[in-house]
Amino acid sequence: MMSATASSFPKFCRNTWLITRFELFRLFGSPRGWFALAAFAVIWFLILRYPIFEASSALQQADTQAMLSRVFGMIGMYKLMAWPLPELIVYWLISLVLLPLAVVITSADQTSSDRSRGTLRFLTLRTSRDTIFFGRFLGQWLVQGLLIVISLVATLGLAVWRQHSLSLPALEAALIMALNLVIVLAPFTALMALCSVLVRSSKLAVCLAIVGGGVLVGLISWAGWYFPDVLRLLQYMPGAQVPALLSNQGWSTFKEVTLPLAQTVVLLALGRIALQGKSL
Amino acid sequence: MSTIIQAQQLSKSFGRHQVLHSLNFSLEAGEPIALIGPNGAGKTTLFSILCGFLKQDHGNIEIFGQKPGSEGLSGRVSALPQDAMLDPNFSIGTQLTFYGQLQGMNKATAIAETRRVLALVDLADYISQKATVLSHGMRKRVAIAQALLGQPELVLLDEPTAGLDPVNALQVRQIIANLTSEATFMISSHNIFELERLCGTVLYLEHGKLVQQRSVQQGAVGYLSLQLENADAALVLNVLRQLPGVSSVENAQKNEFAIHYDRELAPDLDITLIGVLRAQGWQYRSLTQGRTLEQQLFAVANG
Repeated sequence: MMSATASSFPKFCRNTWLITRFELFRLFGSPRGWFALAAFAVIWFLILRYPIFEASSALQQADTQAMLSRVFGMIGMYKLMAWPLPELIVYWLISLVLLPLAVVITSADQTSSDRSRGTLRFLTLRTSRDTIFFGRFLGQWLVQGLLIVISLVATLGLAVWRQHSLSLPALEAALIMALNLVIVLAPFTALMALCSVLVRSSKLAVCLAIVGGGVLVGLISWAGWYFPDVLRLLQYMPGAQVPALLSNQGWSTFKEVTLPLAQTVVLLALGRIALQGKSL
Repeated sequence: MSTIIQAQQLSKSFGRHQVLHSLNFSLEAGEPIALIGPNGAGKTTLFSILCGFLKQDHGNIEIFGQKPGSEGLSGRVSALPQDAMLDPNFSIGTQLTFYGQLQGMNKATAIAETRRVLALVDLADYISQKATVLSHGMRKRVAIAQALLGQPELVLLDEPTAGLDPVNALQVRQIIANLTSEATFMISSHNIFELERLCGTVLYLEHGKLVQQRSVQQGAVGYLSLQLENADAALVLNVLRQLPGVSSVENAQKNEFAIHYDRELAPDLDITLIGVLRAQGWQYRSLTQGRTLEQQLFAVANG
């Protein structure tokens, strides 16, 4: 298999970027991608129109705010109401729960169908497996980043439409949320890169991620019954830092980036090793 | 001539089933190379190892002195992998251009190269089409086109005419024949007849073992293959065996005769033979210099 040596590093970077760019083209330049974008737009229209619009209207009431502060405070999310716009509060809650699940589905086909179709053979004749693996991952990650920015801009647009202005703290909060969400999604994207290598279809990759994750949590919980210290492993599962994110606000949320970034590196390393050993 | 592929003790198993058994061979650049063998002989496994899709279990194999799949082979070695398909979501032009870019071309060069190779396989008008709208034969030709992108020195074609109708198969053979001066082709097939006209060297695999490696035409002994219209085989054998320089004549199949002769004693036996045919009033369908590839392989396989 081809490997990225020091002498071929520029070629490695060039081909990785070509593959990443092709993933963007897959979304923005193909009918299938347009269809996915249309579905994304419809889903976010519904989220903006109903949960975010309705909830943000309710959140403007002082008594509702006080009541929710108490409720969120009781479950450790006492800083949630400190975000500057009600629309952003609802967006933040919904995104942290829904986007990881969405990524498990939308990032499931990084290499699996290309491998079962044989298209990966055409690619590996021209570039290393590493460039394909990392290029596809980066492409997916970049696409997610773009879609997060688009959805945040739409959320801010909704706020502007409501209050006819946009404050600098609101823009800053949107930037913090965007960066945080991109980091939150990284280990899930890396997990799907790994699952995509292990099986030959996106459906199987989704099943593997969900069932594998469930079995792992079950095993840890079962082992924790006998050895309570084992339960600490649950703190290292992808998404384990999300509750902590909800209990922080502003730039302090970045205290939680180490875990997802470390998970991403580990999962990518496992995926790379798996792809290097795979027959095509 | 330089060595392009060198294999030593190459073995591969899938589970308990050993597919390749300690293959040793060395192949030179130049004339197309045929990899022949019945279905299940291990041809595609050997091709997959050569392309870097599979790893051998034991032994060593090098292409241009490098391991299969090495970065240094990118652009020098190309292949038509069996049953591999293009992405159905993009046009063939988009994908071939992308492949060209991955080989190191800039976009303009990759587009020009895509047009060139599609024209070679007579599919220039389909550059904007997706692979899904193409027939099986057209898809195969597109897959051959991608193998010709750039200037590969070695082109590995795994069953390039499998599943094609005779017209398309002929077209593929013509494409290969026209390009033999530009690259060394290695072609696998279980169809001896289609490779016999194309290839100078033959690797014959059977049950994962290399039964023989040889040049199609070799040796001091001359061979003529004669196919007659209806003729009395016994009479023909009797007459031909009388000719000066002829060492033996075999009637392998009905109306087909394989004549072995000494080239030094009878350098113009073919001309003599035509005279004999005319004198005897025998009509012939074909007279070919050398044994057919089938005859050569069959002779060796039978010891």
